[in-house]
Amino acid sequence: MAPADPSLVLAAVGAPVVAGLATLLIPRAQNLARVLLAACGPAASLLLLGVHLTRYGVAPNHAGTTSINWVPSLHLDLSFLVDGLGAFFALLVAGVGVLIVFYSRGYFGNDASSLARFFPALGFFTSSMLGVFLADHLLLTALFWELTSISSFFLIGWERDDETAVKRAMQAFFTTGFGGLALLGGVLLLGDTTGVWRWSDLVATASEIGSSGTVVAAFVLIFVGAASKSAQWPLHYWLPGAMLAPTPVSAFLHSATMVKAGVFLLGRLLPVFGLLTIWLPLVVAFGAVTMLLGAGLALRQHNLKLIFAYLTVSQLGLFVCMYGFGGVTDGHGGSAIDWDLSQIASHGLYKAPLFLIAGALAHRLGTRRLPELFGLWHRGVSGSRVLVVVLLAASYALAGGPGTVSFVAKELFLGAAHHAAASHPALLVVVAMAVLAAACNVAIVVRLVATVFGWRLGVRDDLPGRDVVHGKDRWGPVLWVPAAGLVLVQYIGGLLPPVWNSVFRRLEVNVNDEAFTDGLPWLWEPFLHPGAPLAMSLAAIGLGVVLGCSQRMRGDIVDVHDRIYPVTYRLILQYGHRAFHGIQTGHLRHYLVFVFTLLLLGISWAAWVDPAMLRLPDGVAPFESLTGLLLGAVVCAAAIALPLVTERVVRVLVLGASGFAVVGLYLLYQAIDLALTQLMFEIISVLLFLLVLRLLPRLDRRPLISPRPRLALAALVGITIGWMTLLAGHAADQRTNEAVTLGAFFEEHSLHGTEVTDGRGGEGRNIVNVILVDFRGFDTLGEITVLATAALGVWSMLPGRRRHRNDEGQPGTIAAEVER
Amino acid sequence: MTTVLAICVTVMVTVSVYLMLSRELKSIAMGVFLLGHGANLAILAMSGSPVLPWGGLRQPPILGGEHLVDALPQALILTAIVINFAVMGFFLTLLIVTARKTGTLNVDELAGEEPPRSSPELASEPAPVAGLETRSVAD
Repeated sequence: MAPADPSLVLAAVGAPVVAGLATLLIPRAQNLARVLLAACGPAASLLLLGVHLTRYGVAPNHAGTTSINWVPSLHLDLSFLVDGLGAFFALLVAGVGVLIVFYSRGYFGNDASSLARFFPALGFFTSSMLGVFLADHLLLTALFWELTSISSFFLIGWERDDETAVKRAMQAFFTTGFGGLALLGGVLLLGDTTGVWRWSDLVATASEIGSSGTVVAAFVLIFVGAASKSAQWPLHYWLPGAMLAPTPVSAFLHSATMVKAGVFLLGRLLPVFGLLTIWLPLVVAFGAVTMLLGAGLALRQHNLKLIFAYLTVSQLGLFVCMYGFGGVTDGHGGSAIDWDLSQIASHGLYKAPLFLIAGALAHRLGTRRLPELFGLWHRGVSGSRVLVVVLLAASYALAGGPGTVSFVAKELFLGAAHHAAASHPALLVVVAMAVLAAACNVAIVVRLVATVFGWRLGVRDDLPGRDVVHGKDRWGPVLWVPAAGLVLVQYIGGLLPPVWNSVFRRLEVNVNDEAFTDGLPWLWEPFLHPGAPLAMSLAAIGLGVVLGCSQRMRGDIVDVHDRIYPVTYRLILQYGHRAFHGIQTGHLRHYLVFVFTLLLLGISWAAWVDPAMLRLPDGVAPFESLTGLLLGAVVCAAAIALPLVTERVVRVLVLGASGFAVVGLYLLYQAIDLALTQLMFEIISVLLFLLVLRLLPRLDRRPLISPRPRLALAALVGITIGWMTLLAGHAADQRTNEAVTLGAFFEEHSLHGTEVTDGRGGEGRNIVNVILVDFRGFDTLGEITVLATAALGVWSMLPGRRRHRNDEGQPGTIAAEVER
Repeated sequence: MTTVLAICVTVMVTVSVYLMLSRELKSIAMGVFLLGHGANLAILAMSGSPVLPWGGLRQPPILGGEHLVDALPQALILTAIVINFAVMGFFLTLLIVTARKTGTLNVDELAGEEPPRSSPELASEPAPVAGLETRSVAD
């Protein structure tokens, strides 16, 4: 089949951000139009993806679309991969995106300024997410990945006047951004090593990738990226921290989409790196720890949003674990992963409603704390019962009760864990952890139900019950209808599996267990063929009910990992400050010593690499010219005398003497122009220096610094530079073929051109002048600019220019006039 | 001749680095100027010795002669000389302004000080250094 055309996918990716930005053009009062237009973005993405899928079908994961050239020199082009994995996630994002747009209208109410600010950011985020899921190019994935970090920063830090919210947004941004850098590094390493820059090509050539150190390093780096985005231990702290965001954001970013990006990436990586020996231990270990830790922390929270956030962390750990099992290789049947997309979809279908209802409750009652919801059902707050019904329906799925997709998903996962443990006994630990985590889920649901109905087992605290705050005019069916719709899909999938299968069978790639070849089973089938997974499920439910009823483990605790970011941040600032003051001493001498030491070290290193640098070249003709020898002696004598002389006028004259001797050397080298210029400037310089000396205070104390180390360093630098000069000059002496030098080129083209210069010559006989004004004319322009800048600087600094006429006798004015 | 130049460069660089490491801005300024000369000579050495192997000198880089010296280093140095001069003018002005505003040319004392705020009052203030304005020409 011919490769698919990328334009539809590109349009689908771009639609939400275009629609989001377009809402800015809508007049303030027209909120209905604003909402509808914003919803058009993700809806258009859904439609375009649908058209693409009907036209080209679900691509296998090794067949990307054709590409549109973007930055060919970076191997970067716009190509997409609409395989089952990518299409599923993209449809999930776009579908939930539409619901979120409507929900946010209910959440923010008729507040035009909030909505006007929210929809562009939401569109930006939706587009970045779609890009991550659909990109086929490694760098394109990394690019969209960063964009999700940036756009989620805007969404998490929504309450821009709230310092804590902004801090948490920074925390999320730096944590996921750090992961993004690791991802970029891994991707570059991978692309550079293999020479393959597209996921589809990587899948196609997966067997040739091998397991060299570079490939493993690339994989580990990419895994760090995925783990940070998907809130794996120990970087999971950012996700609960980001719960300060408005609820639509939490529901969208932190349940359905952004945190799944890491899981998605693991799905992308599985066919490429699944056979690496490090895959199974690395991925499963981090996933399992996160799974249990998240569940345990969720049990000890009282804020509904935090409970759901930690449950999400736990569930993400489970997904990572699930993809980790994909690396299991046993004698028969291959990896232990089945229907991974259904499992992920199942999570989104109950977690997003839970968040949405938590937000709705907060608006209705003014609280999200579990103890304050005690007995909610009986309070008779208008409209709260329907929320409770949806909440309980979603909670039932959270507990993995039979009749939901979630139940089957748990069965699938426990089955995979069981399967994996059969060939790797060490994984039995993970099985136990999975059962414990599932028990925590059940326990949370038990407590939630008991609390809402006001049973004795429910969570209460001794605080006096708060007055119920009625949400203003914000409440509307739009606050619970999206949640109810999502939950409904849970039950449809659980009770009528053929409906679910007809959608997902085409998307799923990883179907290994024969029992699931035809899709998810009917409700009664697990009970007809009981096995280890069912036993584990029942154990988890039993344990969970006991745990939920017990009075233990109820307190509200703070995760110790929350300290990681602030402590790291403070340490970096502290040591950065210290390092800054260590390096930036403010003493010129220290900087110079630093620079010269580096120079010496660099040259020592070069000499160590190439010892020939230290050998005296053959045939050094020392002193061919007596004139030159005498001039050189004057230069040296003047230079040596300079630090020895104390009388400052004499010092200036000595400096001048050295300069005039240099003029003589120029003459000997037949450099007439140089000699003339230098002579002129040397005279001016000496006069100028003498004049300036008269304006300066006499502070010539003897130097207090010990001269020896200074002299040693100076001598080392001097000898090094001198030696380099000798080597270079000698190499010039020894050359036999003058025609190959650069100077010969200028000599040849000074007057007339050749074909090298398209026949254009410099039309001059004085080669130096031709070089200055013609061949290197821009250099001369730069030189004039420097001169002009220096003159401007002098003019602006001299205080004399501010003085009045009658102050002309003042020293500053003299200097200013001389400068002019 | 290359050897002579190399020795000159060695001495000049040594002295200039020595001066630049001192405490006094005037010495540092002299070190910088001397370093400029040294660098120019080092570049000049790249054109090879002007003394021909069979005696006699090469010709100046003007078309018509035989065995011309390499013109490129000269062009580079010509640029460098002018820039050296610009830097020197700027440096000397800095010296004057620094002395007027801070009363010292000792870099160690300057390092501890906050940079003076440039305000019109400060610029027109009389120099704080005693003797600066009263010094006689015969000094």
